[in-house]
Amino acid sequence: MPFTKKLQKFNATIRTVELGTGEKAVKLGGGSTFPFYTFDGPTANPAKIGIEISDMGLENEPDCIKAFYEGCGSVAEIAKKAASFEGVDFVVLKLEGGDPNGADKPVEELVNVAKEVSEAIDLPLVVEGCKNVQKDAELLSKVAEALQGKNVLLLSAREEDYKNIAAAAGLAYDQLIGAESAVDINLAKQLNVLIKQLGVDLGKVVMNVGSAAAGYGFDYVISTMDRVRAAALGQADDSLLMPVITPVSSETWTVKEASASEEDAPGWGPVEERGIDMEVETAVACLTCGSDAVILKHPTSIATVSKMIQALS
Amino acid sequence: MAKFITIGERLSTTAPTVNKAFLARDPEPILARAKAQLDAGATYLDVNIGPAEGYGEDLMKWAVQLLQSNFDNVPLALDTSNKAAIEAGISVYNRSKGKPIVNSADAAGRIENIDLAAANDAIVIALCNGEGIAADNDERMGYCTTLLERGLSLGLSEDDIWFDPLFVVIKGMQDKQMDVLHFIGDLTAMGLKTTGGLSNNSNGMPKHIRPIMDSAMVAMAMMMGMTSAIVNPNDLRLMETIKSCDIIRNDTLYADSYLEV
Amino acid sequence: MALNGIAIFKLTPKKNCKECGCPTCMAFSMKVAQGAMTIDQCPHMSEDALATLSEASAPPMKTIKAGVKPFADNKNDSDKEYSLGGETVLFRHEKTFVNKTRYASTVCTCMDDAAVDARLASVSAIDYDRIGDRMYVEFVAVDCAEGTAPEKYAELVKKADAAGRSLILNVKDEACAKAAFDVCKDKKPILNAADASNYEAMSKLASDAGVVLGVSGASVDELYDTVAALEKLGNKNLILDLGTESVKSAFENAVLIRRAALKDSDRTFGYPSIVNVGKLASGDAHMQAALAALFTMKYGSIVIVEEMSYAMALPLYGLRQNLYTDPQKAPRIEPGIYPINGADENSVCLTTVDFALTYFLVSGELERSGVPCNLLISDAGGLSVLTSWAAGKFSSGSIAKYIQEFDIENKIKNRTLVIPGKVAVLKGDLESKLPGWNIVVGPTEAVQLVKFLKDMHNA
Repeated sequence: MPFTKKLQKFNATIRTVELGTGEKAVKLGGGSTFPFYTFDGPTANPAKIGIEISDMGLENEPDCIKAFYEGCGSVAEIAKKAASFEGVDFVVLKLEGGDPNGADKPVEELVNVAKEVSEAIDLPLVVEGCKNVQKDAELLSKVAEALQGKNVLLLSAREEDYKNIAAAAGLAYDQLIGAESAVDINLAKQLNVLIKQLGVDLGKVVMNVGSAAAGYGFDYVISTMDRVRAAALGQADDSLLMPVITPVSSETWTVKEASASEEDAPGWGPVEERGIDMEVETAVACLTCGSDAVILKHPTSIATVSKMIQALS
Repeated sequence: MAKFITIGERLSTTAPTVNKAFLARDPEPILARAKAQLDAGATYLDVNIGPAEGYGEDLMKWAVQLLQSNFDNVPLALDTSNKAAIEAGISVYNRSKGKPIVNSADAAGRIENIDLAAANDAIVIALCNGEGIAADNDERMGYCTTLLERGLSLGLSEDDIWFDPLFVVIKGMQDKQMDVLHFIGDLTAMGLKTTGGLSNNSNGMPKHIRPIMDSAMVAMAMMMGMTSAIVNPNDLRLMETIKSCDIIRNDTLYADSYLEV
Repeated sequence: MALNGIAIFKLTPKKNCKECGCPTCMAFSMKVAQGAMTIDQCPHMSEDALATLSEASAPPMKTIKAGVKPFADNKNDSDKEYSLGGETVLFRHEKTFVNKTRYASTVCTCMDDAAVDARLASVSAIDYDRIGDRMYVEFVAVDCAEGTAPEKYAELVKKADAAGRSLILNVKDEACAKAAFDVCKDKKPILNAADASNYEAMSKLASDAGVVLGVSGASVDELYDTVAALEKLGNKNLILDLGTESVKSAFENAVLIRRAALKDSDRTFGYPSIVNVGKLASGDAHMQAALAALFTMKYGSIVIVEEMSYAMALPLYGLRQNLYTDPQKAPRIEPGIYPINGADENSVCLTTVDFALTYFLVSGELERSGVPCNLLISDAGGLSVLTSWAAGKFSSGSIAKYIQEFDIENKIKNRTLVIPGKVAVLKGDLESKLPGWNIVVGPTEAVQLVKFLKDMHNA
């Protein structure tokens, strides 16, 4: 008896969310199979890659990242350079300088940085806050206002601040919203319901269901993403049918495998190679479980992951 | 397992408003009732036009087209003893949201509705009875076998035969209730799907009691593996019970707002 | 996976003869499905039906044993050989994955001696402990380039064997395979050699030597047919090669094969898999890292790379460790002393629970502080700080007992112990149970640790 290839069909499709405007706009989601299961059905939009930059410039970056931006004098120039690397689909500007426990930059200053970056590049833009709930509520709302018409994605609306951010981004200024929950599948769904109840079009929402570096509690990330995708497609659950975006670089570059110097870790080999592989392997694992977009920062990682996505699409 | 499928029962010719609207081909009352049921969370709508001798074909076509064009091709159960009317309904039916359901076949006079479903790639509700209600579960299983074998031999998938164990009224057959529930468990163990007119159990009870009894019955039936029921979706307590049981059965993902979606 | 009632019913004679004692075949099938009766209580089952039923009750995927372990994977491991396959689910949240992915580096007869020596040295170099598991490269794949003389291949196999790892013989030539067996068959290598053209000869070789046979095919259909033919010959000691045609086809094969076995109960594909990402991305180490992660997730039993480096291994082995944990149980850290930032016996001590997420959070912040310190982890039942405290598993008594059992006072001279702010209440009790120690209440949240430690260090 010959092999009978049984395909797995779902009666549901992840929403397609378009990020950015014009020719360089990218589409996230749109699939109705498990990731890379092209044999079950065509891939609507291959997974996308964002490159992470910061309002703090290169101050907090590892040496190997600094080397790629030599000669860049402003965040706008860094953004321009970042957008030029092979495999980059969009730019992610982290406004970490807004953290009240850190540089505590004023909102106006950060909004200006976002504007400058937005004007410097023609790729779609994602703006990430500083993770402080009070500050982000104001900061991301102001960014949404300042970048009207650019169709940017704001990361993130969380349980604590979704009312401000989702209302500003989704309702007042017609931007996209990232709904963030920390590896909690029930909260992931709940947050989408709450955002919908504000009156926001679910076609403007992407999810960040949490992230970790490979080896660092990544089991929770795998199961959260596997279950989100299985429930979305298998149960045709409208409250879960949004694309998933996963910040990877913010998790991977701080763990010791990626950051320990060659003196501190003799035998482990060059630190840059370790940083790249930690980023690449974590990103691939996320994509395999259901990320429709990942955020990375080393150009070699981005080129590698991009090549793999193409090979599998 | 998949989410519990509710089939809304309120478009029935037994209701005077509906009967009048069917006869007059008056869309308004039909659409209002359909909308109320869908808003409350019904998946399928049952369209019971009665025997409708002589005008059934025309009426069923009208009803199918009316409902599907107004409600995004809502899937329907075509409920009548008039075979020609069912076939007419299927001829204009849009399957994009789900196959039509033929309501219903039994192991006696209406067994040919199995053939009708097989010929039209439809789902069929198969009542596990012959002439009159089965005396015990062995007899029910015998009818089930007859219906299943007929369906399989005609190329129907077992997934498209939804067995109705026949709920019996508590006021009169209180001692048979657990038999019915165990029978659902047996069908589930077989890997078969089940549905039925659940509210029959509370017939004759005071109005304020019925939602309570129906909710208890649906919870116990879902525990036994029941996959669908023909119900009044505008019974809020019942629908909340079904949504909660879906959570417990892990057929929908829990979120604090699960009752609101 | 056992068959459900309807599947059993379809195999019955459907005569309703009642000889089994049931009124109908349907009722009988139901009782069999529920375990109340056994299939042989039906006197009229056909031979074919019985064979189908007995196959259906066997595990969907075989556990195949290969190689010889140079040492135990961890302190609970007593297996002498590697178990591959034997999985029952497609996703880790359904049930624990059982037999973890194993990795191989490659040597080839096409490489010069120096390159082979360097490669084998890199294999031995990777050997470290990660949360109680010994991480190393379990296999060396020995490639036989076309036209290689048997003695030359045997020589390389012998050299590879001396590295002390198990072997995968990637060879298509029968004489070469035989020559290799002469030097290594006691080590239970995997003979990755069979395809549609040579399977009979290779199967005989593998069976005679009692080793696992790797099977490949030009397409998934050809692979299936070859496996079926091998099974017919009586060889069920197999591993399936996902092929090197393209990344896309290897991934497709990985999923289709595993899914056919576990979801559709197709026993012909119920074998572990082997995938050569060294061949799929030859010369591109980062792409091999990407693909090694991909096939660890889905569904490679052995992943072969050209050269496993620390850069590739560190995230990969961590990923594997996470993937193969019990989804029902919170991951735990072995109790012990974890020196951070080059801490020594004079460095300050901090303590927290053995819940892995807490550990990673705390140790990450401690690393970020740059301050050398010793993190003391005691057995707190794998719960978070407050939960284990409430359960009595993280108490002054348990901490004092740990200090004694692990002989901390002789190993560490520093006498400052920082406890989590959430259990500040333990301070008094600990002071009386641990005389001579300065008990300091730390912050309530891990993120505050960097500032806390820096302040303490500078004070």
